[in-house]
Amino acid sequence: MIVTLKYAYRKFDATPSGAFPRRHSVSRPVIPIQLINGENKVGHLALIDSGADFCVFHGSLGEAIGLVVESGKPENFSGVSGKGRPLVAYFHSIRIEVGGHIFDCWAGFSKEIEGLPYGLLGQLGFFNLFDVHLDYNKRRIELKIKDKT
Amino acid sequence: MVENTDLRKVLRGYSNKWVALSADSRKVVGVANTPKKAIKQAHINKEISPILTRVPKNPTAFIL
Repeated sequence: MIVTLKYAYRKFDATPSGAFPRRHSVSRPVIPIQLINGENKVGHLALIDSGADFCVFHGSLGEAIGLVVESGKPENFSGVSGKGRPLVAYFHSIRIEVGGHIFDCWAGFSKEIEGLPYGLLGQLGFFNLFDVHLDYNKRRIELKIKDKT
Repeated sequence: MVENTDLRKVLRGYSNKWVALSADSRKVVGVANTPKKAIKQAHINKEISPILTRVPKNPTAFIL
């Protein structure tokens, strides 16, 4: 049986700019998930980001589920700005709950992304679990759980 | 439970803070500088399954 999870894009405030003078909001593919470490779990709105190589969340969220963030395995990464030194994330084996379904996830936690509004659901740890369909015009998200076989 | 997906009004005024939303995202149940403190407030407000998000300092566009 194919399990399909359906969500709507979420709408956030945005300021007008020279390029988008009439913009007052943006719609993003953000979904509620749970980050789970043993008995500890925390809900979070995370961004589905096909451009991210892996999942990375705020270090402070890692601490909220009882992780000692810097005890994980380090990985350097860069954002689209390409400015400055690479950032570092520390990887831990956690579980994520999406739509009531729980999955193992090798996820990074970084104290250097605290300024971002969302953790990122990237290729490894999310896209390997789901067939992802984002329909911007309808503001709809469909996630089909991949068959493990 | 019908979730609120238009978060503009509910998150307004919490710039640069961690916000704990109710499970249906309709109201703020905790606000703090850290997720732990926002969760603690949510639990005090009897929300057992808060959803955390961080409101950016400036609502700019994101290319991540």
